[in-house]
Amino acid sequence: MASANELKLLYENQLKEKLSALESTRKKILNRYLLTFLFLAGLTAGIFFLVSLNPHEALIIISILGSIAFLIWFMYETGKINKKYRESFKSGVVAEVVKLINPEWKYLFDHCMSQESYQQSGLFPHHYDRYEGDDFVTGQIEKTDFQFSELHTQYKQVTYGSKGQRREHWVTIFRGVFLHADFNKNFSGTTYVLPDTAEKLLGKFGQSLQKMSSRGELVKLENPEFEKQFVVYSSDQVESRYILTPTIMEAMVNLSNRFGGEIYFSFVGSRVYFANSINEALFEPNIFRSGVNFGDMKEMYDLFEMISVLVHELNLNTRIWTKS
Amino acid sequence: MNSTLIFVIVIALILLLVFISVFNSLTNKKNQVTNAFGTIDVQLKNRYDLIPNLVATVQQYATHEKELLTKITELRSKVMQHDLAPEDRVNLDNQISSALSGLMVAVENYPDLKASQNFIDLQRSLNEVESQIAAARRAYNAAVTDFNNAIEMFPGNLLAGMMLLKAKQVFTATETERGNVNVKNLFQS
Repeated sequence: MASANELKLLYENQLKEKLSALESTRKKILNRYLLTFLFLAGLTAGIFFLVSLNPHEALIIISILGSIAFLIWFMYETGKINKKYRESFKSGVVAEVVKLINPEWKYLFDHCMSQESYQQSGLFPHHYDRYEGDDFVTGQIEKTDFQFSELHTQYKQVTYGSKGQRREHWVTIFRGVFLHADFNKNFSGTTYVLPDTAEKLLGKFGQSLQKMSSRGELVKLENPEFEKQFVVYSSDQVESRYILTPTIMEAMVNLSNRFGGEIYFSFVGSRVYFANSINEALFEPNIFRSGVNFGDMKEMYDLFEMISVLVHELNLNTRIWTKS
Repeated sequence: MNSTLIFVIVIALILLLVFISVFNSLTNKKNQVTNAFGTIDVQLKNRYDLIPNLVATVQQYATHEKELLTKITELRSKVMQHDLAPEDRVNLDNQISSALSGLMVAVENYPDLKASQNFIDLQRSLNEVESQIAAARRAYNAAVTDFNNAIEMFPGNLLAGMMLLKAKQVFTATETERGNVNVKNLFQS
């Protein structure tokens, strides 16, 4: 595994150069954004001016349509440049960071976690209308294979205003990084470890509310720090404890403190699923400020490092049980 | 007059409902404890089933551990008897645990045995069973804690007396388990 120092070295030797080369494209895109804005402002002023001259109606329509057509073409072109910029950032910079952590991992920037995996995890049972994601990484750490990607799922909510106007909004179900890896023990049931919102807000009463869940029985565990942060549901009381040993509980508390944000685990069909909600676009190039920035690289590196941290903290490579 | 009667009936009905729900919840918790105890039993049985295989494998290589092996076999046949009192069961089981961990230390002296695939498989099965037992014990402890809380807290405590329910003991580590690991033993050759 690479250290943060090696990242610094990679940044100084390779990435800095690549990022600097990308700077001109970034500035071009930024200028085009600016131009679009100026053009729109000019167009509005122009229309007012034109109307005040009181010309023939057709003239107004033609000039507006012409301007709009130009604008659409211009924005389309900008989009194309933007896409290219993003692609060269991902394949030139993000891919290098992944390669630094482990050269054998496979990185596909335009792929994401399969919908089957997402559904199998059972972590977010809410039905979704939009499923997006990118930055898919797959590979193996010793004996443990894993898949990782950024994910964003949403559902459509339709509300009606006081006069019956229909309004649509997209509501986020999950946004962040999603991962699943091979677990080192065999199990047949399902166990969920979820952030404990009810108990945090409502205390003991929250716990009695938690008893009612479609995910299975509430499992009360011994580690008070763990119980404060998580709530556990399982189809099998004993099996959930077989999975959630005192060591694993301790590790989960550590992971939660380390990663921040809400973290979710589920144990389904011999795999452990992990989700960490992070409410921002990840592994994306910046348009509005310089991309030649070590901080951004470090952030990216830390997110990919999450995979190794998880596998090691959960001791997924310890294979002393019947599953080899 | 009439309204007082209705009032009394409503109160009585509410009390009856409370009584039923507390009674049911206590019964439920009591059964959960029994059920959890049963699970430990199943896992212990799994462990006893591993012993003959383990003994047979170790015997091939570890010629000097005859005494320990005989002891384990004897303990196993004792514990497999049906009409044992629970205390005796627990006691025998603790003895088996310590004998097995003694055996696992002793095998350190036999590199051939340690390298044998058969033994490695058995060791893995044993680890598996041990963690299942640990899990089952923790589940039992959780069920017992739940039960004890219910019968000692209001309003369960009012009914617990009538239902003849008594607080149950949770599993704790035995004296041998609680003792520090003797590292010296591990490195003796």
